[in-house]
Amino acid sequence: MAGLEIQRKVKYQEELDLEFPRQVAAMPGAADLNRCIQCGTCSATCPVSVYMDPTPRRLVAMTRAGFKEEVLQSSTIWLCASCYSCTVECPKGIKITDIMYALKRRAIEEGVYPRWLPIPVLAREFFRKVRQTGRSNEGQIATAMILKTNPLKLLRQIPLGLKLLWKGRMSLLTERMSGDREQLQDLLDYVDRQNHQAAPGTEA
Amino acid sequence: MIRTNQTPDGQPKIGVYICHCGMNIAGQVGVEEVTAFASSLPNVVVARHYKFMCSDPGQELIQADIAERGVNRVVVASCSPLLHEATFRQACAAAGLNPFCFQMANIREQVSWVTADKDHATSKAKALVAAAARRVALHQPLERRRVAVRRETLVVGAGIAGIEAALRIADSGKKVYLVERDSSIGGHMAKFDKTFPTLDCAACILTPKMVRVARHPNVELVTLAEVDEVSGYVGNFTVKLRRRARYVTGACTGCGQCEEVCPCVQPNQFEMGRSQRKAIYRNFPQAVPNWFVIDYGACSGCRLCEDVCEAGAIDHEQEDEVEEIQVGTIVLATGFKTFDPRILPQYGYGRYENVYTSLEVERMVNASGPTGGQVLLADGSEPKSVAIIHCVGSRDKKTNPWCSKVCCMYSLKLAHLVKQRTGAEVYNFYIDMRTPGKGYEEFYDRLLEEGVQFVRGRVADITDWPMTEAEEGKLVVRAEDSLIGVTRRIPVDMVILSVGLEPQLDAHQMRKKFNISCSSEGWFLERHPKLAPVATFTDGVWIAGACQGPKDIPETVAQAGAAASEAIALMDKGHVEIEPNTVEIDEEKCSGCKTCLGMCPYHAISRDDQKGVAVVNQAMCKGCGTCAAACPSGAIRQHLFTDEEIYQEIEGVLSYV
Repeated sequence: MAGLEIQRKVKYQEELDLEFPRQVAAMPGAADLNRCIQCGTCSATCPVSVYMDPTPRRLVAMTRAGFKEEVLQSSTIWLCASCYSCTVECPKGIKITDIMYALKRRAIEEGVYPRWLPIPVLAREFFRKVRQTGRSNEGQIATAMILKTNPLKLLRQIPLGLKLLWKGRMSLLTERMSGDREQLQDLLDYVDRQNHQAAPGTEA
Repeated sequence: MIRTNQTPDGQPKIGVYICHCGMNIAGQVGVEEVTAFASSLPNVVVARHYKFMCSDPGQELIQADIAERGVNRVVVASCSPLLHEATFRQACAAAGLNPFCFQMANIREQVSWVTADKDHATSKAKALVAAAARRVALHQPLERRRVAVRRETLVVGAGIAGIEAALRIADSGKKVYLVERDSSIGGHMAKFDKTFPTLDCAACILTPKMVRVARHPNVELVTLAEVDEVSGYVGNFTVKLRRRARYVTGACTGCGQCEEVCPCVQPNQFEMGRSQRKAIYRNFPQAVPNWFVIDYGACSGCRLCEDVCEAGAIDHEQEDEVEEIQVGTIVLATGFKTFDPRILPQYGYGRYENVYTSLEVERMVNASGPTGGQVLLADGSEPKSVAIIHCVGSRDKKTNPWCSKVCCMYSLKLAHLVKQRTGAEVYNFYIDMRTPGKGYEEFYDRLLEEGVQFVRGRVADITDWPMTEAEEGKLVVRAEDSLIGVTRRIPVDMVILSVGLEPQLDAHQMRKKFNISCSSEGWFLERHPKLAPVATFTDGVWIAGACQGPKDIPETVAQAGAAASEAIALMDKGHVEIEPNTVEIDEEKCSGCKTCLGMCPYHAISRDDQKGVAVVNQAMCKGCGTCAAACPSGAIRQHLFTDEEIYQEIEGVLSYV
């Protein structure tokens, strides 16, 4: 049989990180991770689970069992569209979308996400922009994301950008919040520090 | 209640009533055609069809014909006699006709529901109606007999089921003999530390009941005793009890001095052999009765115990005694045994010292157990990781195919207790998590939240053969994590096997003694799995608790209450009515050959040696007809099933098809 690949697959307990589920459960919104009964409603209701490997249900099982490497390197957390269907439908009230965010954050911190993925870059640019100016600016954030992930794509986006400018849907001007931006920055930095304290073992 | 009806000319006048049963029968059987056919049969004076014969207007049709047309034999062609024979017999009796001058033809279960072709169904219905009409012409008026019921009960087994049943019956003012094989009552529940899902202390809720039943003025507690033989019938059983010698009399104060001086040491059976006890012992400090007992097989006969006993309670000369008691009703609550995991060598029980059964760990977490409530490994240290393996000896064709029902819940309870007492990482390996019951799923949720690990997958084996450094000196549990889709090896310090529930080893002997039925596995069989869950096929004998099948404490207590109330109801009524379809022996024809004696499954026939003929106890005869068929002289005649009646029925079927 052509293409038949035989692999040895077994998981030794020492390859797992039993602290990982505890750290994840300590992150905002992820406290109910352990209450999962593996019913699979999340995977069934998820509009993008058909592309996910592992599915959200399995990802929760793996997180709980300490499969840190596989979980943080999975595409699942990045494919999550944050539609919150799973969170709405979960019979145990687990905030699965929040767990996805917790895992994404952790993957970014550990630097294990795939470089070509625009999603973590977008998240980071969004945060940076809001921290700087106190306002979101779609045009600048999108431009920065495209430049950092796929610069050639920028050329193709020019006609669309002009149209958006013409219709007043995008502005080149940087809007800034009035008042003391430093207070906002202190606030955001404080939350960031708190998150890291709540989940010890993660890098700042 | 019984009124005989004879027509003045002695001729039978038969009324035939065909039921539509809505469309159940009429949809498939030509009821009008059958009615016309019935009216043409010999001796039939009236034939009718009606939508629902079992309804009040339907019954009134019959009653009006009895009153106005002098109908003295009735045939109803409708459903199974199991459903409405009693209804129509009562309708006949209310109209003054002997209820046994009635015959039912089943044209629903045996015709309309099972015959595809309408014409076939109609002719089949005709044949059955003809058969019924021909045999009913021969029916003779019969009378039900009444037999008095004694007001004493025998309860066998004094676990929570037996104790509960005994208390209920005793509270209603009847005498109860509560018989227990062990030296103390309490059963399995007395071994437990906590009970799921509430985690209340088992002893705290059980011992008050044990004490109450022992002190109850209406209860005679008989420990160290077994039932040798049961004879008689509902309301009048004679039971032979064998009381084994205790060698300690009721004068024992339970002070325990004898135990201290006794030089003979034995494995403690109450602790599944995980600790030692003396030859003179008691199972646990709250034992009821709180008297010591001598294990004579282990006793050296040194009589040191006799020297120290201030109460003078030791009696080495005691012997087994057989006692005969008379009771009206019997409740069997003989419980279960746990599966012996030695049968499954892959789990290493008996080979690895840190593989325990769940019952052993129940004792370990119990403050009165061998470790004083500590969870300890064989070397006396605390485990840092523990695996609990579900379904050991359950859901497996090679051992027991059934789900033992309680293991998921007690495994969760043990996981909680072990984690609480040791802080160990606890892994539950399960096939399906089964937590149906009030507060059970919530308990599972609590355990999930406590951070107990759950691996869905049946464990393949437990080995001490390490593949990595971290596995050295550990027991490695191998299973597929079927929720993640990967084979895992998990090294632990201790393994707990959640063993399933099995029938007692002597269940089949017990079944025979009490003349009840067993499933092939050995669970006592209830009369109906849904509607008669505590009754048996033997009148006057009820079952309660895990002897009928695996069940937890709440269910067991509920069953015990149900069995008790049925026994109380019968004793309060004071008599049983015996159906008259029993056999009668023609003493002229009987040759006294005793063929029937051995055939009777109910031991209802004996031989009158003076007359040299067989004698039937009408109260014990169930009307099965075995003897009538076997009698070489044709001396046995069964009411409602005489040879003539059966031949007429056959003729009826054959001649009208």
